[in-house]
Amino acid sequence: MRCRNPIMDYRDKPGNEGVWGNAMTLSNQLPTRRNEAWKWTDVSRSVAEGIRGISVAAPVQIFVPEGVTVTRVEANNAANDSSLYALATEHAGQTYAIDVPAGFLSEHPVQIEGLTHGHAQISLSLGKGARLQLVEHYDGQAGAFVNSHLNVKLAEYAVLDRVIVQTDTETTVRVATTYVTAWANSELMQHTLAFGGQLSRLETRLAGMGKAVKATINGAYLLDGKRHCDMTSYIDLACPDGLIRQSVKGVTADKSRGVFQGKFHVRRPAQHTDAEMRHDAIMLSDTSEIRSKPELEIYADDVACAHGNTIGALDESALFYMRQRGIPLAQARALLTEAFLASVFDTLEDEVMRESLLDKLRGWLA
Amino acid sequence: MLKINNLHVSVDDGQKPILTGLSLDVPKGEVHAIMGPNGAGKSTLSYVLTGRDGYEVIDGTVTLDGEDLLDMEPEERAAAGVFLSFQYPLEIPGVPTMTFLKTALNAQRKARGEEEMKAPEFLKKSRALAAELKMKPEMLKRPLNVGFSGGEKKRMEIFQMMMLEPNFIVMDETDSGLDVDALRIVADGVNKLRSPDRGMLIITHYQRLLDYIVPDRVHVLAKGGIAASGDADFAKRLEKEGYDAYAA
Repeated sequence: MRCRNPIMDYRDKPGNEGVWGNAMTLSNQLPTRRNEAWKWTDVSRSVAEGIRGISVAAPVQIFVPEGVTVTRVEANNAANDSSLYALATEHAGQTYAIDVPAGFLSEHPVQIEGLTHGHAQISLSLGKGARLQLVEHYDGQAGAFVNSHLNVKLAEYAVLDRVIVQTDTETTVRVATTYVTAWANSELMQHTLAFGGQLSRLETRLAGMGKAVKATINGAYLLDGKRHCDMTSYIDLACPDGLIRQSVKGVTADKSRGVFQGKFHVRRPAQHTDAEMRHDAIMLSDTSEIRSKPELEIYADDVACAHGNTIGALDESALFYMRQRGIPLAQARALLTEAFLASVFDTLEDEVMRESLLDKLRGWLA
Repeated sequence: MLKINNLHVSVDDGQKPILTGLSLDVPKGEVHAIMGPNGAGKSTLSYVLTGRDGYEVIDGTVTLDGEDLLDMEPEERAAAGVFLSFQYPLEIPGVPTMTFLKTALNAQRKARGEEEMKAPEFLKKSRALAAELKMKPEMLKRPLNVGFSGGEKKRMEIFQMMMLEPNFIVMDETDSGLDVDALRIVADGVNKLRSPDRGMLIITHYQRLLDYIVPDRVHVLAKGGIAASGDADFAKRLEKEGYDAYAA
């Protein structure tokens, strides 16, 4: 029997299926579509017993600039009881703890590689006023399961510029969950470029614990074949003056499936929150699928919160106009699609990185 | 040059006939005007010539220099030299005007087996043309037609036309939305493109544009075909007398 803690708001916890004894089988430990938060991303169905990576640690590689340290520490999972977290705790071994001292500034990023299969637990702590670029590359192996948990702590005035590039194979199953605790005046800038996998869920959960937290959480997904990509986020604001901008855009071709779930939870003290959530998607085929669930839960009375969601096709009139000027159909489609998606990276300050992401995007469209 | 023979075109999945036996011959070097009442099928003609979806050719032929146009994709027709100046030019968000035009120009050249135009030559040519058409240089940097006024969009059509140097030009209600000064600039541009090797079809509801671009022949499109034809003075008579005599 599955049991849930009745006082827990299970929708707000990733993969939360309650706490089980050790006797449960693997399929019972993974989130299923019966769980509201996973209804479009059924991990249990995609992960077979004995799948590569299910009971090993991921061969994580972390490259850091001078002044940043990485140590291995014992996992502390007291605060999290999700089943995927429990699996990671069981198999990932010690947590990689990345420590960025107060006031740190470097032109070199921290890079995380090696999330190819298996479980990983990583924590990243930015000291007061530290600025850091974090680049994560999700390059999963064929037929492998990857389950990573990243815990980020942003001290006051810390700024994290995070870039995620997912280039998994079409048979990789990936769940990457990030928890960000943001203290006063800290900022998260996050830009994700995702190409999906057999199943993938990239989830970001931010807790705004101090005043004037800023976050930009943008992403683009480009899916073909039977690929699946789920971008889920949960922004929980407990203090005033937060500024949140979220824009996720996607295109789906063939029989692929895109999922967007976004939630802003604005608690009573979080007055003067200014938050906007957008999800815009284009279906390039009528056999592809897009599921979207934007949510606002607001308890403060003096806030500006908005969400918008559009799903459509490429503009036929614009396509004809471009073809009339001599641009072949495939090229016209690629140009329009690129123009549609590229805007999510306008907020990426690192121009070299932005160009590199756009190159990957163009590569997919070509 | 352009030969249209007994053209029948329907819309709404072939349910609604628009053109019912239109024949027209525009020889090389000539400018022909198509006038006619609203709803006569003037825009339909422009879209059929350029291959837009949704216009079903039931019967008839259209050839350009002997080549079957109806058999070609829109981009192939463009590469063969057919250019349509749109009545309502589209906005293309996110695609800078220069990127769009350079892509179009080089796609056409590639399709014709010609060498691509290099960036410096393209820039030089476009800057000179923009100045000639009195366009603000920043217009070329903005996404194509986004936030442009109606007049600016029409000017941008002429700019594209002069950059692409097509063989056969179809202008669909180019004068709408233009004030007198802009109309003169646009007409100067069009007149510059008049040449013994080029044909033009000017679709217009009003005679005004034809004061600036004087046509060789004027045709009335009504009841699905060419109802009457004449010389440039015929357009002036039409303006005075209206289309009632030709309407259904």
